[in-house]
Amino acid sequence: MDALLSEDWLKQTVDLLVRLVELAGAVVIFVGAAVAFARFLVTAVRTRDAERFVPVRLNLGRFLALGLEFQLASDILRTAIAPTLREIGELAAIAAIRTALNYFLGREIKEERSELAKAAAAASGATSAAPPE
Amino acid sequence: MTALLQLAALCCVVAGLVAGGAVGLATRSLRAGLPVALDFWLAAGLLRLGADPGWTSLLATAAIVAVRRLVTWSLGTARTR
Repeated sequence: MDALLSEDWLKQTVDLLVRLVELAGAVVIFVGAAVAFARFLVTAVRTRDAERFVPVRLNLGRFLALGLEFQLASDILRTAIAPTLREIGELAAIAAIRTALNYFLGREIKEERSELAKAAAAASGATSAAPPE
Repeated sequence: MTALLQLAALCCVVAGLVAGGAVGLATRSLRAGLPVALDFWLAAGLLRLGADPGWTSLLATAAIVAVRRLVTWSLGTARTR
């Protein structure tokens, strides 16, 4: 039982979990970037309207925020095995940056979504206000 | 895994250049292309931070976040003017 719950075993298990969660975050970010890249190119070929790119950016922002959540989870896991004060300080700085970024991304997503909703409402208002032919 | 993440980050940097350029050319405005490129470079910074969580990559990502905020804010104020 002692061997099963030794400090080394715990360290290795947490290290493996950290790597897995970090990899999941990286995969989410990379897949989001790849999907957004393809959609940006298709939209750029099809239209010249800048508004059409907003939903694609919104989607990319969502992927980045989700990837960040995974990376934050790995930071939290890492605190379980950070032995020195210096490592904990570095971890705190990275977690602070990621938390701030997540906050700003969330705010941007909210702003852009409300702008899209406003534009959609204005467009539907203009259609209903137009006299029937 | 570190080499793979570095490669993925490099791909995101190139994707930012291409997508930002394509959007800028399609809309004929730098205002539309720059935020797109910055989004991809932010993704690259996050991937690099995952590969090597040291002070250098941390400062680089913080700088990208600051520039991104500044550009978004300045574009927002230019739009409302």
